[in-house]
Amino acid sequence: MSSKLATLAEAVASIPDGAHVALSGFAITRCNMAFARELIRQGKRGLTISQCVGAMDADLLAGAGVIRRIIYGGGSLDRFGRLNCVNRGIEEGTLAAEEYSSLSVAFRYLAGALGIPFIPIRSLRGSDILERLHKTAPQDIAFVDDPFSGEKWLVLKPLHPDVAVVQVQVADEEGNAWIFGPRWDNEEQVRASARTIVITERLVSTEMIRRNPELTRIPGFRVSHVVHLPFSAHPTSVYQAYDYDADYIKEYAQMTQTREGVQAYLDKYVYGVKDHWEYLERVGGLERLSKLIADPVLGY
Amino acid sequence: MQAQQGYTFFELMAVAGARELKDGEVVGVGIGLPVVASFLAKRTHAPNLTILFELGVVDPEPIHTGVGLADPRVWYRAKIMSSFVDALGTVLHRGVMDVGFLGGLEIDMYGNLNTTLLGDPNGAFRHFVGSGGANDLASSARRTIIIIRHEARKLKQAVSFITSPGYLRGAGQREAAGLAGGPSRVITDKAIFDFEPESKRMRLLSIHPGTTLEEVLAEMSFQPILPDHVPFTEPPTPEEVRLIREEIDPEGIYSGR
Repeated sequence: MSSKLATLAEAVASIPDGAHVALSGFAITRCNMAFARELIRQGKRGLTISQCVGAMDADLLAGAGVIRRIIYGGGSLDRFGRLNCVNRGIEEGTLAAEEYSSLSVAFRYLAGALGIPFIPIRSLRGSDILERLHKTAPQDIAFVDDPFSGEKWLVLKPLHPDVAVVQVQVADEEGNAWIFGPRWDNEEQVRASARTIVITERLVSTEMIRRNPELTRIPGFRVSHVVHLPFSAHPTSVYQAYDYDADYIKEYAQMTQTREGVQAYLDKYVYGVKDHWEYLERVGGLERLSKLIADPVLGY
Repeated sequence: MQAQQGYTFFELMAVAGARELKDGEVVGVGIGLPVVASFLAKRTHAPNLTILFELGVVDPEPIHTGVGLADPRVWYRAKIMSSFVDALGTVLHRGVMDVGFLGGLEIDMYGNLNTTLLGDPNGAFRHFVGSGGANDLASSARRTIIIIRHEARKLKQAVSFITSPGYLRGAGQREAAGLAGGPSRVITDKAIFDFEPESKRMRLLSIHPGTTLEEVLAEMSFQPILPDHVPFTEPPTPEEVRLIREEIDPEGIYSGR
């Protein structure tokens, strides 16, 4: 198979305005941060973002006005704070939020991955989450009778994102990728999507992949672009690669409390740097990053 | 807080939560005090407890306190690292999760839990974390245990938003909605509650030592069912307190020291 190696700018340029993008982040870990910063720099607009648990990548995109709609199961920056930009968008009505639970979104990806028309789920019933979805996403929920027992079931429509963007630890140039640590919704996101962009900390030969094929979580034949970009999840963590950078997540949580603060953050870390390499210098360069490198026993 | 008794109310809540877990059970845990309680149970009376985090982490043994489920510190030494579909799908949705262990912003007299928003759902409001796996746990676990601060603004007649269903508006409603299980205990820093079997309304089960019935009721926006005799909660043992302080939460991040 031929090489799919691309620059971050090339991979981002392949995404049209208005596309539905599934992001791999979970709160403050394996977030598509460099990807989000480049999406903002390229002036993309009107995206739909989906992920099981809302994360820092989606929040930055919401703050920059890149996304129009979010399909998610709730989310936060863990103890660093709320998703200020997503929440403000919901509170002020500028962001269309279709809010589920984690498993509901995972089941929608799973149904998408399997190519089945709908998926029954026990979650959401009786809750105000479901009440609200009747208003925000009536086309994606229904009740049907189980043809075997006659029992009434809530069913959800599959998700079929235009592209999944997944941060991984290891990939080859075909896009075969290993994800270390828990994978939350990433494998179903990839399989539900029309194509996948892999952003990898480390690039290895296909021979290396062939020697450990049971580790392969993302199949290369579903991948359109492979971007080799170390520290591309900074300031969030990548298990077995580097820890989160607490000072920079705190700064983000603080600055994003106001719209003015969001603009200042974007000016400093997105518009104020020309690419990922300049961003890494802005946050302290190799001297700081080397302190984040994970202990191989601990994984953080 | 309560230094003269040798434990804090946070530690008492964690201990009370731990005692609700039985050996051999499978428990799905949100971050915070439920994590402290589950690890405490596993180190005391329930060594065969299986602890599970929604993102696909099973039976970790952390040695550092994490900032949340997304912190690799809380994944350390896990036996399995998988996915939502594995942890919440093939365990919880399959019907073999014994306990869902949750916290929240607000809870009402039927055990309905809000982690989504505060304010009027049709007017001005402030949006918070939302469900994550909480709604899934509350819908499909065999029972749920809730830990929440004892304040009138948290123990409400009706919550602003039902993120995770308890008994909805009373007897029969959970079954009608097609839900399994239901809340079994609410543990606060003043008391422990269960739910009266007929009405499904919250009922006072015990009051923590050093607290009075008047103090318990003064900080609630509804009247719980009051049995004739309400005992005091069994206080933590010195060994339980030691385990929390020295091994489980040495930095006091969740136990409020």
